[in-house]
Amino acid sequence: MARALPPPPPPPPRAACARPQQLSARRVSRGARVEGHGALTMELSESVQRGFQTLADPGSFDSNAFALLLRAAFQSLLDAQADEAVLDHPDLKHIDPVVLKYCHAAAATYILEAGKHRADKSTLSTFLEDCKFDRERIELFCTEYQNNKNSLESLLESIGRSLPHITDVSWRLEYQIKTNQLHKMYRPAYLVTLNVENTDSQSYPEISFSCNMEQLQDLVGKLKDASKSLERATQL
Amino acid sequence: MLLDLSEEHKEHLAFLPRVDGAVVAEFGRIAVESLRRGSNPKIYDGAARKLNVSSDTVQHGVEGLTYLLTESSKLMISELDFQDSVFVLGFSEELNKLLLQLYLDNRKEIRTILNELAPDLPTYHSLEWRLDVQLASRSLRQQIKPAVTFKLHLNHNGDHSTKVLQTDPATLLHLVQQLEQALEEMKTNHCRRVVRNIK
Repeated sequence: MARALPPPPPPPPRAACARPQQLSARRVSRGARVEGHGALTMELSESVQRGFQTLADPGSFDSNAFALLLRAAFQSLLDAQADEAVLDHPDLKHIDPVVLKYCHAAAATYILEAGKHRADKSTLSTFLEDCKFDRERIELFCTEYQNNKNSLESLLESIGRSLPHITDVSWRLEYQIKTNQLHKMYRPAYLVTLNVENTDSQSYPEISFSCNMEQLQDLVGKLKDASKSLERATQL
Repeated sequence: MLLDLSEEHKEHLAFLPRVDGAVVAEFGRIAVESLRRGSNPKIYDGAARKLNVSSDTVQHGVEGLTYLLTESSKLMISELDFQDSVFVLGFSEELNKLLLQLYLDNRKEIRTILNELAPDLPTYHSLEWRLDVQLASRSLRQQIKPAVTFKLHLNHNGDHSTKVLQTDPATLLHLVQQLEQALEEMKTNHCRRVVRNIK
């Protein structure tokens, strides 16, 4: 970034990760708010900045084209059905397709970074001003961003690895009478199946196990402990 | 219900009256031990030498006794039926009493062992849980996402396995509700009637 924050500190943003001490020192000296800190760690490549500088230029993108491209960027990120045709609008035909793709990519990249760091309006404005956006375009960008913020954050939240996730449980109660090894059993038994979802592999394995009454009581008791503990934690 | 003993089986058991009561009791102990841990041929050799008979004879005797005990335990036959079944072997009253005692003493344990032979699913052993809150991920910062993490301990054929799983608060409540309903089922009239009448 050309101008990070007043006063411009010597180390470039990329070094922020390598020298965390410097980062916190800066925070302390500036009394920075958390949002400001987020902007510090947003790393944007040259191509993103150049893409935005092109988007700011009325000669390359008139108002209508800009609005369309902006909408297309959000659409391709958030709409599950969106495809390459998102840029196929008659009012964008006069623009060089290479430029169009370049700017679309830049916009999408920035939107994701902003969403990831939960950027606020002032962070967005600052960046857009740096890219020479006029007031009207800044307002339009911020409004579009605000409208799509929730969907964007939901999307980002759902990306990532986690442990296999339990989605449901089924149970079966049976009365065991005999097996070929053992007659006259006469006891109840439960078969419990947990439906599990794996976020990365999109697989749905099941975990099944049997238990008697005491064991099921133990299981339910422990689940209730966990749930009570959760309730108490949320009331703090 | 009487036990149906084959000729071969009766032959093997015919060895028992030839030794004294203490030896039969010892064979009984070896029999149950072999059910627990598998048989050990060396024991037969040692006993054979002491009793001055072939190793095979001892082995058959013990195996015959084992089979007698497991079949009786499996079918859960009554004392009277056991006595009547053994009566056909023509043993002394003392030996019959000894055999009955062996049966009664070991029946419960043998049934437990036999139970493990049944086709089986993993059984529940225990559950550990932990509350977590996700604060950030690579793709999104500043989150507050509560989750419950579980370690489910299962036993299968003697092997202990654990599964680490997670769920969200809403699903946890759902799990508790569903499984409580499962427990309630046993108390319904329908289930009580079945348990009362099938014996």
